[in-house]
Amino acid sequence: MGYFSKASALALAIGLLGVASPAWADFWSDAGAKYKGVVLHGVTESTPPSNFIKDVLAPEFEKKTGIKVEIETTSWDQMYDKAIKDMEAGTGIYDMVYIEQDIIYAYLARNFLTDITKSLKDMPDLKAPTYDDANFTSFANYFKNADGDLFGVPMEAFLKLYLYRKDLFDDPKIQAAFKEKTGHDLKPASTHAEYTEIADFFTQYGKDNGMELWGSTAQAHTGHPASWYEFFESVAPTFGVYNWGIDASKNYAASVANGGTMNGDKAKAAIKWWLHLRDIAPPESPQSTWTEVGTTFAAGRAAQGLVYGENGAWIQSDATKSKVTGKVGFALPPLEPGVLEEAEAGKGYIGYYDGGAFGLPITSKNKEAALLFLQFIGQNEVQPDWAVAAPRITNTATYDDPKVKEMDAKLGGYYTMLKDKGKLFAGAPPYPFHAQVREATAPIFYDILTGKIGPDEGLDAMAAKAEEELTTLGYRK
Amino acid sequence: MHSKKLGWLLLAPTLLILGLFGIFPFLYVVWVSFHEWNPFAANPAKIFNWAANYRKLVFDAQFLASLGVTMAFVFFAVVSEVIIGYLLAQAFMKDFPGRAFFRTIHTLPLIMAPIIVGSIWKLMTTPSIGIIPYMLKHTVGFDLNIGTSAVAAFAITVIMDIWHWTPLVTLTLIAALVSLPSEPFEQAQIDGANKRQIFWHLTLPMIRPALIATVFIRLMDAMRTVDEVLMLTGGGPGSATRYVGVHIFREVFPRTNYGYGSAVSVIVLYLTIVICWLLYVSLIAPRTRKGSS
Repeated sequence: MGYFSKASALALAIGLLGVASPAWADFWSDAGAKYKGVVLHGVTESTPPSNFIKDVLAPEFEKKTGIKVEIETTSWDQMYDKAIKDMEAGTGIYDMVYIEQDIIYAYLARNFLTDITKSLKDMPDLKAPTYDDANFTSFANYFKNADGDLFGVPMEAFLKLYLYRKDLFDDPKIQAAFKEKTGHDLKPASTHAEYTEIADFFTQYGKDNGMELWGSTAQAHTGHPASWYEFFESVAPTFGVYNWGIDASKNYAASVANGGTMNGDKAKAAIKWWLHLRDIAPPESPQSTWTEVGTTFAAGRAAQGLVYGENGAWIQSDATKSKVTGKVGFALPPLEPGVLEEAEAGKGYIGYYDGGAFGLPITSKNKEAALLFLQFIGQNEVQPDWAVAAPRITNTATYDDPKVKEMDAKLGGYYTMLKDKGKLFAGAPPYPFHAQVREATAPIFYDILTGKIGPDEGLDAMAAKAEEELTTLGYRK
Repeated sequence: MHSKKLGWLLLAPTLLILGLFGIFPFLYVVWVSFHEWNPFAANPAKIFNWAANYRKLVFDAQFLASLGVTMAFVFFAVVSEVIIGYLLAQAFMKDFPGRAFFRTIHTLPLIMAPIIVGSIWKLMTTPSIGIIPYMLKHTVGFDLNIGTSAVAAFAITVIMDIWHWTPLVTLTLIAALVSLPSEPFEQAQIDGANKRQIFWHLTLPMIRPALIATVFIRLMDAMRTVDEVLMLTGGGPGSATRYVGVHIFREVFPRTNYGYGSAVSVIVLYLTIVICWLLYVSLIAPRTRKGSS
């Protein structure tokens, strides 16, 4: 009898498992059933990670849930234009919008976004068993409010790193020439002085040998915000100028006179250093945004440079687009003495941690279905293939995946650097007025680049303009 | 009475569309121009500020500079387009092998979106890959870099506009030239008029209405150029090609300065109307009065 009881219980358990397991495995079709036929609309910048969502994740999600997802990939400017207009006017065209790390503060200030953490708590039926906010790397913190609630599912994260041409740096002939000329060994620069020395050497070397080779890249467009960003987010921090030189704790001061650092000695040294590099960089540099810097490096026209990680990865691995695959080394940006220590102590940072998330506009008409999709793209399960197709990592578990480890080796340890050194970098400062201050000061910045105004007086004018704009906007009292 | 009602009924859809997509947005822009409104300000609400935005723009050095370069751009672009357009129209009036083919080819830029035109010219003028800097460097030893030279950037935007819009002028003038009666020209030739006299005293006065209409259209278009310049130079180097359209775009979209941007838009519209009116008064009205007296 005991045997029969045990056998019955086992059979019942197996039967129940048999019934329950498909239900568990089929969360997406069950949860999606209610929304079958719904069409979700998203807008994002046309980048490899976004294209992966459009081409791979969206169709996969549709297959599992019956919810169609249409992702519109467009230019950076257009993407913001469309998303902001939609949320501002409350038209509810988009159910998902790309949120670059630097605009999250403005979106939160305007209550444009849905609280994803709270929504999933309020609607537990929609909570996917494979999704957890805790799966994300610390980059997700940029998309959280003061209560720790998440407002965007991270979908890309990169560091802006120092890339150098390993093949050139390891060439004995070049090493000897460098030693002869400078008295130093040729190795990746760790200080600005070393970087300049290497840049000067390679520009001259290219000239002397009739090569299309220059010593450094420069994202120095004279009419596009990319140059402004390169200076304030990648160059100035390496000199110890943080948060664009604006101090929120001092009534949003930008000028030294009021407690800011935008026109301080460090900022002035930084801009002079960078302008010199611009002058010895490839001739396309005054027309280069982040994209062109990537293509310049990929074309083998620069020996070293500060390049966004999203570009660094394909430069190193995609032979269809890059002439220097497998020849690229990744290192931390060159720094002034003391900056690394400040970053390690959490009092500063050494460069830009770039990235973005997918958020759910408060004006969306399909919030529940969109929540499902956001969880779908935030699962650990979809990350490895995504990381291989479009080098980016947003979930901690992704680092340990064999495919990703293989990719890391191919990329010369880029992912390891993202994992181990990511904490030394920072995103844009937590201000809700990014575009406003940038646009107000950018014309003066472009005038510095064209030489219409000197770097010192230019930074003075920019600091004054930033304070004027912040006063007009009502942040500076 | 019945026909009047029917007339209004038939006109209603047009008036509705015009009101909805033309008049209402325009009135809204005028209304917003009397407010201080930046949705990313500490206070994102619209605050009525009378004519403060208009007062501000009179002293706004950036706006005035942008207006100055726009006027120069409009002058060089429109004058060049009219001259080249007329010469091409005359050329296409003549019979030569492949005329139909060349006519078709030359109108191709017209069907391109301005953003594409900007992209094409960007590719053609980028120092490392562009054909124009390459040819200039290897033929006359000139280093073209529109990222550093304000004059070069300005000139290239003018040339780009000429490339894009001259076909419109050509097509309009071909239509005007084709419709001209042949008798006055035959009489002039019999009377011994030379080509220059025929042009000044016959052709030009007879195509004047078409010419003026074309100039108006091109002038209004050139005044609001945005996309292609934004793509090519971004308004740079510095503010060298920050034409009013680009200036308004930057104020309204990235900077979200809706109130001030609207005021600039209204003033630019007003200036465009004034310029067109001045042209009309100086070129058309005197002849009309002369003809009627």
